[in-house]
Amino acid sequence: MDNTDVNVVYSVQHQLPLVMYIAQYFFFTGLSAGSFVISVVATMLGRKEFKPIGRITAVLAPVLLIIAPLNLIADLGQPLRFWHLFFFYNWTSPITYGSFLLTLYPIMGIIYAIMVFTNRGTAAKILGIIGVPLAISVHGYTGFILALAKARALWNTAAMPTIFLVSAMVSGIGFVVVVAAVRWKWFDKKTTEEQRAKDKRLIIQLAQFMAYTIMLDLFLIVSDILVLLTAHADAYQAGMLILTGNLAPIFLGVEIFLGSIVPMVLVLGPTRKNLTAIVIASILVNIGVYAMRFVMVIGGQTIPLS
Amino acid sequence: MVIDMRRCIGCHACTVACKAEMAVPLQVNATWVKIVEKGPYPSARRFYLPRLCNNCTNPICVRNCPTQASYKRDDGIVVVDPHRCICCKYCIASCPYDVRYVNPFKEIVEKCYFCQHRVDAGLEPACVESCPTRAMVFGDRNDDKSEISQLLASNATTVLKKEMETEPNVYYIAGDETAMSNDEKGINYRAEGAFINLRL
Repeated sequence: MDNTDVNVVYSVQHQLPLVMYIAQYFFFTGLSAGSFVISVVATMLGRKEFKPIGRITAVLAPVLLIIAPLNLIADLGQPLRFWHLFFFYNWTSPITYGSFLLTLYPIMGIIYAIMVFTNRGTAAKILGIIGVPLAISVHGYTGFILALAKARALWNTAAMPTIFLVSAMVSGIGFVVVVAAVRWKWFDKKTTEEQRAKDKRLIIQLAQFMAYTIMLDLFLIVSDILVLLTAHADAYQAGMLILTGNLAPIFLGVEIFLGSIVPMVLVLGPTRKNLTAIVIASILVNIGVYAMRFVMVIGGQTIPLS
Repeated sequence: MVIDMRRCIGCHACTVACKAEMAVPLQVNATWVKIVEKGPYPSARRFYLPRLCNNCTNPICVRNCPTQASYKRDDGIVVVDPHRCICCKYCIASCPYDVRYVNPFKEIVEKCYFCQHRVDAGLEPACVESCPTRAMVFGDRNDDKSEISQLLASNATTVLKKEMETEPNVYYIAGDETAMSNDEKGINYRAEGAFINLRL
């Protein structure tokens, strides 16, 4: 029978259970994980010119990760019962992994930051080696939260944790570039001109690294959508929702165009030596990743399951 | 539970009975009847599909609940402990059948419990009791002599979304394929405290 002859006369609409707070939480953990990884890389390389970046990111990581779970608690219908997560844990639920990871990781991050600032190099390196898997799992598990809700076609893919991790790296580097550029411009008067030129070159290198991560991110998004469009009916519907439906302006316009393609051109194109252009690109990248979290969280639940 | 769609007349008595029995607030439903119209005139026909929690044998909501607030009773009914639920709403996101909801007054997640208080007292769930055509049949599948066992043995039955591996415990006799699949044109919304309204 032709599909146009079918008419749903009555069906109920359902609540969207997870909304903005969750998208925001994913964004903040992503920023934190991204900054932490950069900080550890800077510490590991141990070169003197990487020190400022290593210090900025060592502070950013725990601070951002203290903001992130506040979003989660605000999202709860019963915020005062958040301690149930620790006392009545359920090991088959990804939220349980998260509640323990979100406790361990900031503690580790703070100790690591203290080590970096007191110049205890070896201790910082050891903590960094322990910390990177923790940072990856603290953000990777958020991908599992979505992926393990298997009824939602947009979420239920094994690529989801990887997509989240790569976009976390993108937004983390973008955020660090912005903070480092602000520090370079206004709060860094003591160092010599030669040192300032080195710092600027470092920021530009970081931005170029960000552009290459964006390429990886775009590849993952394209492969995800390609599989969505050729998989089962719900997946096709989810793919069409973000490509042509209500969420298309946010997905194609903000996430892909403004948040990925424009920054890539700004960082790798003719303006690649211009710090202002790089800062604009980094801000756009963060807006794009925020839009990506929004599209994933809201888009996954938009299609009714009944 | 078995729902015989050959008998259902789409009267919504189960919806009303559920609302009254379980004090379900406005805007949310633990039970509802989906109505689908098919075919060109003059051969058009309406098909109904009463919907309620499948109380799955292998529930995703229980697996994903971080606080063990959702659990299975010994008799298989999936319930939410109202004192333990923190309303993280992950179970609603995980449910393939969209049957859970946030009670806007209590701020906890609720669902259809097959009227566990009535079942414990030896009665049938409110929807079953109210059905005027006896389209809904509730009982113990392990008891070979019960009406439900005989219905299941002698009729072709289907369940919703078998591919989710949840092993639903609500069986439909003669359920319409279109009514049992997703509403393609529908869009979900947020009942209250909305940051966005997707009915654009």
